[in-house]
Amino acid sequence: MSTLRKLANREQWTEAALLLRNVSLATAAQWLGGLPDEQQQKLFRLLPPDLAAGLLGSFPYYHQYILLHTRPPNEIREIVDQMPSADRMHLLDALPEEAWQRLAEEIGEAIQKPPVDLPKKAPPVTPVARKPVVPAEAPTGEPIIEARAIEKSFVQPDGERIQIVAPLDLRICPGTIIALLGASGCGKSTLLRILSGLAQPTAGEVLWNGQPLSQALPNVAIVFQSFALFPWLTVLENVEAPLLARAVGADARRQQALSAITTVGLKGFESAYPKELSGGMRQRVGFARALVVQPEVLFMDEPFSALDVLTAENLRGELLELWQNRKIDTKAIFIVTHNIEEAVALADRVIVLSRNPARIRADFHVALPQPRDHKSPQFVLYVDFIYKVMTKPEEQVAESELQKLQPKPPRQMLPHARPGGIAGLLEMLADAGGEEDLYHLAERLHMEVDDLLPIIEGAVVLGFARLEEGDARLTPMGKQVAEADIARRKLLFRDAALTHIQLFQQIVNTLETKSDHTIPIELFRDILDEHFPDNEVQRQLETALDWGRYSGMFSYDPESERLVLMAEPVAATPQNSPATTS
Amino acid sequence: MRAQLPFARVARSFHVPWGVLPRSSRSFLQDLPIFAAGLALFYSMLTLARYWSGPLATQVEIDLSPHALPVYAFYSVLRITVAYFLSLIFTLVYGYIAAYNPRAERLMIPLLDILQSIPVLSFLPAVMLAMVGLFPKRQLGLELGAILLIFTGQVWNMAFSFYSSLKNIPEEMREAARLYRFSWWQRFTQMELPFSAIGLVWNSMMSVAGGWFFLTACEMFVLGKRDFRLPGLGSYIQTAAGAGNTRAIIWGLAAMLAIIVLTDQLVWRPVIAWAQKFKFENVEAAEAPRSPILNLVRRSRALAFLSRKSIAPLREALDLHFARSNQGANTEVRTTRKWFLRFIALALAAGIIYEIFRSAVLLTGLTHHDVNRLLTGGGATFLRVVASLAIGAIWTIPVGVAIGTHPRLAHVAQPLAQIAASLPATALFPVVLLGLMAMGAGIGVGSILLIVLATQWYVLFNVIAGASALPTDLKEVCSVFHLSKFERWRKLILPGIFPYLITGLITASGNAWNASIIAEYFHLKGDILSTNGLGAVISQATDDGNFQLLLAATIVMAAFVVTINRLLWRRLYGLAATRFRLD
Repeated sequence: MSTLRKLANREQWTEAALLLRNVSLATAAQWLGGLPDEQQQKLFRLLPPDLAAGLLGSFPYYHQYILLHTRPPNEIREIVDQMPSADRMHLLDALPEEAWQRLAEEIGEAIQKPPVDLPKKAPPVTPVARKPVVPAEAPTGEPIIEARAIEKSFVQPDGERIQIVAPLDLRICPGTIIALLGASGCGKSTLLRILSGLAQPTAGEVLWNGQPLSQALPNVAIVFQSFALFPWLTVLENVEAPLLARAVGADARRQQALSAITTVGLKGFESAYPKELSGGMRQRVGFARALVVQPEVLFMDEPFSALDVLTAENLRGELLELWQNRKIDTKAIFIVTHNIEEAVALADRVIVLSRNPARIRADFHVALPQPRDHKSPQFVLYVDFIYKVMTKPEEQVAESELQKLQPKPPRQMLPHARPGGIAGLLEMLADAGGEEDLYHLAERLHMEVDDLLPIIEGAVVLGFARLEEGDARLTPMGKQVAEADIARRKLLFRDAALTHIQLFQQIVNTLETKSDHTIPIELFRDILDEHFPDNEVQRQLETALDWGRYSGMFSYDPESERLVLMAEPVAATPQNSPATTS
Repeated sequence: MRAQLPFARVARSFHVPWGVLPRSSRSFLQDLPIFAAGLALFYSMLTLARYWSGPLATQVEIDLSPHALPVYAFYSVLRITVAYFLSLIFTLVYGYIAAYNPRAERLMIPLLDILQSIPVLSFLPAVMLAMVGLFPKRQLGLELGAILLIFTGQVWNMAFSFYSSLKNIPEEMREAARLYRFSWWQRFTQMELPFSAIGLVWNSMMSVAGGWFFLTACEMFVLGKRDFRLPGLGSYIQTAAGAGNTRAIIWGLAAMLAIIVLTDQLVWRPVIAWAQKFKFENVEAAEAPRSPILNLVRRSRALAFLSRKSIAPLREALDLHFARSNQGANTEVRTTRKWFLRFIALALAAGIIYEIFRSAVLLTGLTHHDVNRLLTGGGATFLRVVASLAIGAIWTIPVGVAIGTHPRLAHVAQPLAQIAASLPATALFPVVLLGLMAMGAGIGVGSILLIVLATQWYVLFNVIAGASALPTDLKEVCSVFHLSKFERWRKLILPGIFPYLITGLITASGNAWNASIIAEYFHLKGDILSTNGLGAVISQATDDGNFQLLLAATIVMAAFVVTINRLLWRRLYGLAATRFRLD
């Protein structure tokens, strides 16, 4: 290691390249990774293509992209050609859309993504014209829906603007299933509603087959998370309802509805009421109601998340089958989900949204043949990769733009996690040797990433854990918490909250300066109001109260609606631990 | 074997028609009650048309013989029915506008809150005079006055219920309707009305029960020198009480009770059972309300035929008509409608301002003595209301808890209580007063008892509901720790029923003020019994035709009710919803 660094410091690149050549690939990768970025790039430029190709896979994808661009285009192609196929596929899938497009242009036709990487046992893909197995960005026709610089924000009573969706472009082209992924509350449902014409964007426009959405009557349908069926109508009447709205006569209506009901496998249940059906069957009615209008784009808003795992799996499979065998007249499907595996299992293209406000973090194609094996290495790679994107710190996205939109620095947001949950997570991490892959963690806990993320974020903001490349790692402080007894744990929690979190500093400072050690909660509501929308303010306060009570900082008196300072816990014995309010 | 075959065939061929016939004749029998009901309805309409278009007779002689009762009962039921349908229409319009027009909402909902607090009975003279003025020659005017009064007693809670149902329709359901471009008609019939159905049904029941309360009061009253009497059950009971005719009183009360029980069985039970399909829930309830009458209607072939031939095609035509016109909808129509609405709003505002000005002018005529009476009367009635609520709570809490926690007791006691509660307090007042006077008590004490009579049931039924909702595990905890009876009440029962108790007391308090108008001032056997109180001031001002005092007293009472609601009940309710919630 030190030899390589010395050589690099002395700018003796040829010798350095020679050195790398003569150690094992793993060592070489480790040494190269240990160099500062600039030196890495200079050295990489001089490596022979085969070595470069071998080393590349051990870097994060954006890093690979930069390293590759130290070489002239023809060499890029040579190196990519020589990469191990799994590495190459991962790189190509991982790259954001524009980057991938540029790379594809640079290296020409050298890369045909899927064929080389197909697992040998995979059944041949059904040759369906509508589902082309081509590199993702090859245009597959005019977009049905095209969003241009749409954004959504709303104005608070005090005149401040809160942005939900940052300006973004999006095209929905025929023949694809697009999955939109993101943590809950990140604005993905808002985006779906804008694209489907249910909501108006604050700025930008949505085109429907080239026409502004406001003037067109878009033929779309939505499958809702809560099914949104009318419980007082029978299955048949529910499915007929959209046709009735289109003034379809009674006989035609009945016939079309029956055919949709048959398609989703509910024949014989026409006169049942939704509440007499199981959840899965109810969502089938939801599908039938959506399909009966023969929508050009079928939108789905977390359609499977209210169902149990098996039923969801079943329905997903059937949906895919209908789609692949062209039994439904839909040109494109746009599905919003927070379930990563679901996205990878269904979609041709996955878009990952960031939060506060929503912007596109990653947009890539899933080049796996259907049916997809959830256990196959490629599948797992995709899932892992999305985990990493979703947990990557926010600074990666254009910082300057963020600053421009928000005059004040964004307020630190408390993740909605219970202190007990955070402590539990720390214990699990400690058990796992202080470090664990997020994906595995979620799997062991049988949790959705949505539910897990706030807990991890909680541990991170308190300085108990760090997130690195999709792994959660215990800090020394976190280790202490994991090993402490309950009273000591609360003390550590209190210290950490007061050191790291502005809101708690504010609350405790204010409470201490007041002579009666109480403060109306309204004050903090006002402070938070400037930064968050109403319902978020409420959640922030609830979380703050939860944490404050747990760690014995303050409690809340509902009668006077005031926060009350708790006596500082002196001795950490269970008897003295602060009592929670009844 | 072979020889038997033809017989078998014959037997089978006969079997088919005979198998069908008895069933169809039975279903004809099933339809008989429905035909009978249709005939009765037709005849009543005829009678009514003749009576309403007849010349004005403000002072009908009330016949105290039991034979007259069916006709009186019919008129009373009709008044309530018409008032109810008026309320329903008003509810739908008011709730719809309030829920969808944010600007109107800001005005309409507080207004509803205030209207709800105004003592309806003080509207009586103004409404009656206006209606008689409108139709000076016809019976219709007086009838409309009575109906309008009952309407004002029924409508507010229904409007509130419809409004809040509309506000609570799940967002995704609304989005589905919008996405599929439902016409307003389809939205209304397939989403909004069904979603509000259950709330509307329960509130309708409450409203109609309240309707009996006001009916008894407004069928017979004195206004200045004029003595208004409408033929009906209420005036029958009042006349009987005035004459001290105990037999007639009992007949009248029995008839009223019979009607109330019949309405419950013939109307509300079937409607509730039918409304179960509008329940917004994910699982089918194990024990759904049932009704034999509903089954009769559902199985009736004649009705099914009628609906297939008339309602279904009409519905389809309407649906398609609105769907078609919805697709050609353009913005121009909306702008003209907007201007029209604006014009109406402006006219309304102008009217309101003018009326406020007029009332202000009227109020300047109040004397010092009047103001004094209003304030002391307000204080006295306030104390009376507090006392009656306290008395009501003291007896209903232990009884309600006992009924609520002992299913076997509830089995016997609950139907009895329901029947007792269904008799409107206004009908019982004369009887109770006669009894009190016989014991030598005056109206000062009597009025408190009368208010208790009018309000205790709200508290009782809420306490029963609260006690039966006490979680079993908490009760078991009390047994495990051998809590004493006192401790058990303090730790579990009182906090557990608190939210229910508050709900009951809020309703009771509102009604207590209203009841004071009748309870504090009473015509009995040609005498006037009265005591010091705001209710008495209102009643007396009505009798004397003293409009400025009536207006002032009404405003003072409404102010009392609104203030108490804001200062006391709303806070207690907030406390009940947060700290004492059991879930």
